[in-house]
Amino acid sequence: MSGIDPARVLSEVSAFLHDEALALDERRWSDWLDLFTVDCEYWVPAWKSEDEQTSNPGRELSLIYYGARAGLEDRVWRVESRRSVASAVLPRTQHLISNVRVTGSREIPGVSGAAEIDVRCEWTVHQYLPKERAVELFFGRYEVCLVRHPEGLRIARKKIVLLNDYLPARIDFYSL
Amino acid sequence: MKDPAELVVDAVDRGIFTVDRAVFTDPAIFELEMRHIFEHTWVYLGLASQVAAPNDYFTTFIGRQPVIVMRDATGRLGAFMNTCRHRGALVCQRRQGNARYHVCAYHGWAYGSDGRSKTIKDLDTGAYSEHFLADDHDLVPVARFGEYRGFLFASLSAEVPSLEMHLGDMRFFLDLVVDQGPKGIEAVPGSSSYTFRANWKLQLENGMDAYHLTSTHPSFMNIVDRRNAGESANRLKSLDFAAYRERGGFTFDHGHSALFTPNPNPQVRPLFASIDELRSRVGEARARWMLNTRNITVFPNLQIAENASLQLRVMRPLSHDLTEMTIHCLAPVDEADAARDFRLRQFEDFFNASGLATPDDTTCYEDCQSGYGAGIVRWQQGYSRGIMSVQPGSGPIGESIGIEARTHQMGAAKVQDETIFHAGYREWVRLMKAGLARDAAGATS
Ligand code: FES
Ligand SMILES: [Fe+2]
Repeated sequence: MSGIDPARVLSEVSAFLHDEALALDERRWSDWLDLFTVDCEYWVPAWKSEDEQTSNPGRELSLIYYGARAGLEDRVWRVESRRSVASAVLPRTQHLISNVRVTGSREIPGVSGAAEIDVRCEWTVHQYLPKERAVELFFGRYEVCLVRHPEGLRIARKKIVLLNDYLPARIDFYSL
Repeated sequence: MKDPAELVVDAVDRGIFTVDRAVFTDPAIFELEMRHIFEHTWVYLGLASQVAAPNDYFTTFIGRQPVIVMRDATGRLGAFMNTCRHRGALVCQRRQGNARYHVCAYHGWAYGSDGRSKTIKDLDTGAYSEHFLADDHDLVPVARFGEYRGFLFASLSAEVPSLEMHLGDMRFFLDLVVDQGPKGIEAVPGSSSYTFRANWKLQLENGMDAYHLTSTHPSFMNIVDRRNAGESANRLKSLDFAAYRERGGFTFDHGHSALFTPNPNPQVRPLFASIDELRSRVGEARARWMLNTRNITVFPNLQIAENASLQLRVMRPLSHDLTEMTIHCLAPVDEADAARDFRLRQFEDFFNASGLATPDDTTCYEDCQSGYGAGIVRWQQGYSRGIMSVQPGSGPIGESIGIEARTHQMGAAKVQDETIFHAGYREWVRLMKAGLARDAAGATS
């Protein structure tokens, strides 16, 4: 653990998570994609019962599961194509991130300064739907694994626990 | 309120079929639909595999009425109204579970998993009357309960034909789903529920609507193209609507219908991974039917979509302009890991409320419901494609698979037939008329 200072890491990953949230809220999609590694895992599990989420995306249903950034790139392409009526009028989203904790960190052997950092935090998205003139609210927990490269932090894994999964007609990456 | 019988004009012989938009917008019509349709015909409840073990249960609704489906200690299935006989509390709070007894949390009356009253708390000291003691305190069973090959149905009215008669040769299409695995099929763990702000019949129609594919889902089609061309780094394979050349459909009595498209790319189906096993077990012809793209509606609340992956969806109308959907991914029991993974990724890619196709559909339903706000526009023009090519009976293809259908349609995929919706509206009229006749008889007696 030498070289990883918990207090400094906490403020660094908090700032990173806030930047990611802002990229979504400001619809800077390509900036947002740049925050992920090419082989990142992005996972929004479904629920099996009142209390239990799906835990094995290979055998059980997820709301979204990608084993690479390409899945997110498809979604960004879809929004930008203006060919999906579901995103013809985008919600105005506001991501709030809180209770950030660093739950683990590892240096990556052989690469100077490289490290993996496990982070958990709570999130809330309020969104206003201009077409419906309605407000929606989603909330849950992020479980994120960040990797530190020379060019900065990147998301290697993001699991999004969505606690209120009785969904409206549509939900996409910008609301999670 | 308008007379429900006049809200559907069914004159195909004169080239006319249309529906009054009041069927989507009038709360009084919705009230009648709940009473005369959802409470007077067979309604899909769930899969037997959701209550596989003794004392397993799940809770659901028939129309607006809460129901509990239980397997008793001896393995017998039953369906009961989920309301305590004492003062009405839900007997079972959870969506699913296993319990030999269900004890009402309010005053402690207990019921067995067979629905029988087990104990009434402090019965001895209750100074009850003879009349009370002689009364039946069991959970109230549904009027009719039935299973067809693992699909569970119930009716709140006893005045319905047998489930077999009700389903008719829709059973052929249910069999095509059940027989996909040597050990049958199961709902993959995890499901999703979402609502849309529109009438339930928008989903009923859309599930069989070939005409919308290229206009509602261009972004999905483009993404599939981009992946196939290597412009997207996502290597997931999925269906390609643009490759469809021909399409057929059947309508049946009691509102059911089936749509099929010979699949030019059967290898993009997860089922194709077990094609050899499949062919040797069910034969070449049925294996081909299983790999065809198929969409079926079992009126009024069940649809199975087999284009990407295999989806079972249940519609639950909440009000005239609000509908709840619950969706499951179906798969062969004990499916191999690679095929299961492929199936799940295809499902999530297309179907979820967070997928790349379903949200475009549901957005269109909501836009339709908003558009119906233009109340001076009365008649829909959306039930006319194919009206000059639809034929009575089963046709050569229907005969080749030994089914009896009410109408059939087979031709170029571009027909994008809309007569397939007629079945649901014919049943709608039949049940609404029967209900109004019952009401009239009740009012005069
Ligand atoms: S309401 Fe159930 S015991 Fe009283
Ligand atoms: Fe669609």
